[in-house]
Amino acid sequence: MNLSPRLRWVALGFGAAMVVIALGALGVIEGGVYNATAIQPHDPLSGWATHTTMTRYFQRHALGVAAPARFSATQITAGLRDYQASCVECHGGPAVARARWTSGITPSPPYLLDASRHWSSSELFLIIKEGVKMTAMPAWGLSRSDAQIWDLVAFLEAAPDLAPSAYARMAVAPQPSRPTSRSSAPPS
Amino acid sequence: MSRTGACLLIALAVASMEGCGPSGAPPGGSGNPAEGRTEVTRQQCGACHEIPGVQQASGLVGPPLEHFGRRTMIAGLLPNTPDNLVRWLRNPQAITPGNAMPDVGLTDRQARDIAAYLDTLQ
Repeated sequence: MNLSPRLRWVALGFGAAMVVIALGALGVIEGGVYNATAIQPHDPLSGWATHTTMTRYFQRHALGVAAPARFSATQITAGLRDYQASCVECHGGPAVARARWTSGITPSPPYLLDASRHWSSSELFLIIKEGVKMTAMPAWGLSRSDAQIWDLVAFLEAAPDLAPSAYARMAVAPQPSRPTSRSSAPPS
Repeated sequence: MSRTGACLLIALAVASMEGCGPSGAPPGGSGNPAEGRTEVTRQQCGACHEIPGVQQASGLVGPPLEHFGRRTMIAGLLPNTPDNLVRWLRNPQAITPGNAMPDVGLTDRQARDIAAYLDTLQ
């Protein structure tokens, strides 16, 4: 290849810079320098990179998930029950605090009262079903049917319109008997 | 000037520097704003509130906290003083029973730090 001497120096400099950056990155990884504990929240760059990676993944992959046009009251109630049993400890509710230890999780699990204003139903479904790597969010699809996960989405969709008093009432109301198959249950 | 006099002058200058300026205690409160900002992240205040300077704090449940340090009222009810803010942060359900903001179990220290951070939002 016939590069001018000047261009050759530029190419050499670029290659050297790449090597230095790669060695620096390896040094951070192998040197135990990066704070991997849950004590300190992410620095702005890591916070942005991980959060954006997560957000874009679910935005992209939820395009292939068809969500129901609307949810029944039965689904909302069933979702609230499941939320009470499995989610409220980390995500809280209207006027309901998370368990105190959850502030020690990094990233800290968010309250979800306005989750449906930030995410579509399909995105919420995928997040719940598949979980989020390197957060404490499990893939609930391993222990729940799709229908049960849609119930949770139904509750999250209803949450912004739920007054704390209404949530408290629904949370303590006696559990309706509900068979394992849920699509046949009429709206209450 | 005598040596003692010079030392005294320097000591005085240092003491007066510590008493004011950006490195001193925040006005009106005893909290640490930097710690407060971290605590705001840990407690996920941003899940319900928009908070300038805090990542992913884009919540649409409660009011945005922009200019909080200049606001006159807390929850439309309490004059915005550091002590009132600490009271509110520690126990919102006692002040406005049934409102959506939970008592998250903040310690006095955590509440003071958060109050100090919110005070920086001018």
